[in-house]
Amino acid sequence: MLSQASRLFYKFLTLVACILTVGCAATQGAPNPADPWEGSNRTVYEFNDGLDRAVFRPVSEAYAFITPQPIRTCIRNIFLNLGEIWSGINSVLQQRQFDAINTMGRFLLNTTLGLGGCLDLASANGQPRIPNDFGVTLGVWGFSSGPYMVLPVVGSSSVRDTFGDVGNLVGNQLNTIGYIPNVGLRNSIWGLEFVSRREALLQISETVDRTALDPYSFIRDAYIQQRQAKVLGPEAAADALPNYENYEDIEADDKALNIAPQK
Amino acid sequence: MHTLNRTTNQFHNTDARSHHELRLQRQGQPFSRLMTIKFFLLLALSLMAMQSFAQAKPDANSAPDTFVQAVADQALMVLQNDPEVKKQNIGRINEIVDLYVLPYVDFAKTTRLSAGKYWRQATPEQREQLTAAFRQTLARTYSGALSRIDSGTKMDVQPLRAEPDAKDVVVRSRVMQSQNSQTIGIDYRLEKTPTGWKIYDINVENIWLIQNYRNQFSQQINANGIDGLIAALNERNSK
Repeated sequence: MLSQASRLFYKFLTLVACILTVGCAATQGAPNPADPWEGSNRTVYEFNDGLDRAVFRPVSEAYAFITPQPIRTCIRNIFLNLGEIWSGINSVLQQRQFDAINTMGRFLLNTTLGLGGCLDLASANGQPRIPNDFGVTLGVWGFSSGPYMVLPVVGSSSVRDTFGDVGNLVGNQLNTIGYIPNVGLRNSIWGLEFVSRREALLQISETVDRTALDPYSFIRDAYIQQRQAKVLGPEAAADALPNYENYEDIEADDKALNIAPQK
Repeated sequence: MHTLNRTTNQFHNTDARSHHELRLQRQGQPFSRLMTIKFFLLLALSLMAMQSFAQAKPDANSAPDTFVQAVADQALMVLQNDPEVKKQNIGRINEIVDLYVLPYVDFAKTTRLSAGKYWRQATPEQREQLTAAFRQTLARTYSGALSRIDSGTKMDVQPLRAEPDAKDVVVRSRVMQSQNSQTIGIDYRLEKTPTGWKIYDINVENIWLIQNYRNQFSQQINANGIDGLIAALNERNSK
């Protein structure tokens, strides 16, 4: 435990040094145009991953161990339900009126008959949640994402989404749970929110651990794809299918394709 | 076959206990006639059971959305009723995936597209090894997700939006993993082959599988060549 803490502290020092000097470990090969800051991003990623494995993941696993699944789902649903207000506001800001109406309908149904959001009756009745946030709103308003960024503790982001996250913090946290006057209670609820959010992602991090060749680029590419799809909206995203070129039958010269023959 | 046996037993038990039968016997009805009726009833029942089973078998030449729903329903039915799956037996889940999912997937194409331009450099042996290693990796991804299937899990395919003569389509669906949980959007990309529709890419919550593996593949190939990529996949698989 001690060595783990010291390793984490060491990672933190590297992180500070990196942020101060910008650019640490050089990356292999041609830089990815979507991720020009890959070197420092990887350092922050390493730090986040260490922190996650040392603290957040064990805490979430303990939470999952002592709390039965239906109660965990209920708690998660209550927080998600509270977040619907901010999602709906962003749908309005993006002029996605149908999404806004559906989100409001979900919120009203789940808050009343769904016992404060514990039961997601709307999903069960064919109206799934439409997650939305301020980063997407900025994207819809025409701001390009800018380079990919890994933020300390927060994780995957981009220049645009970092601004979006500030908006989300104000809109989705400070203006809801933040109004609770009792500081102890408020902070405990935020703690529970964080743990329940992490617990819901345990399956995903397990899958990444098991199948990714390089977890960093797996998470990065997934994040970029998902954000792009959200900015485009479901219909446009369905039309903007990835166009994979089939190289099997193409007779092109290797230089044009920028590939060197195998040794 | 399992379902059939169970039906037969239930039928026997309830009937044997039935007061109606006892009364008929007391009234002096010929017992053999009753047996004949029972036999025909059973026959009709089993025929019905067989027919519904045959209908559930996915037909790659049907409409792509019908096909995907049939593949999913069949796999879900097997997974939900297999006692080994409830015990999280990964070996058994892999077997089920091999039997009920992979026949409908064009795995060579998935691998080819993930390798992108590097596919051209690969020798036939490397192509084969890469496909096998990648298939193993993805089977592990799926079996992890599939081990969490319970009786509340269901998948609903959404209406298809495609031209009738399209050769490359996307079938969208929503999966409810368990009771009261949030639904997950899963899309399937299919191509029409001479033998019918084949799935070659899958999208989970806006993340396309091939696109997500392309950078990882090219990174590995740039650093260690195609053999390095195959070795890296196999090393992951053995963990």
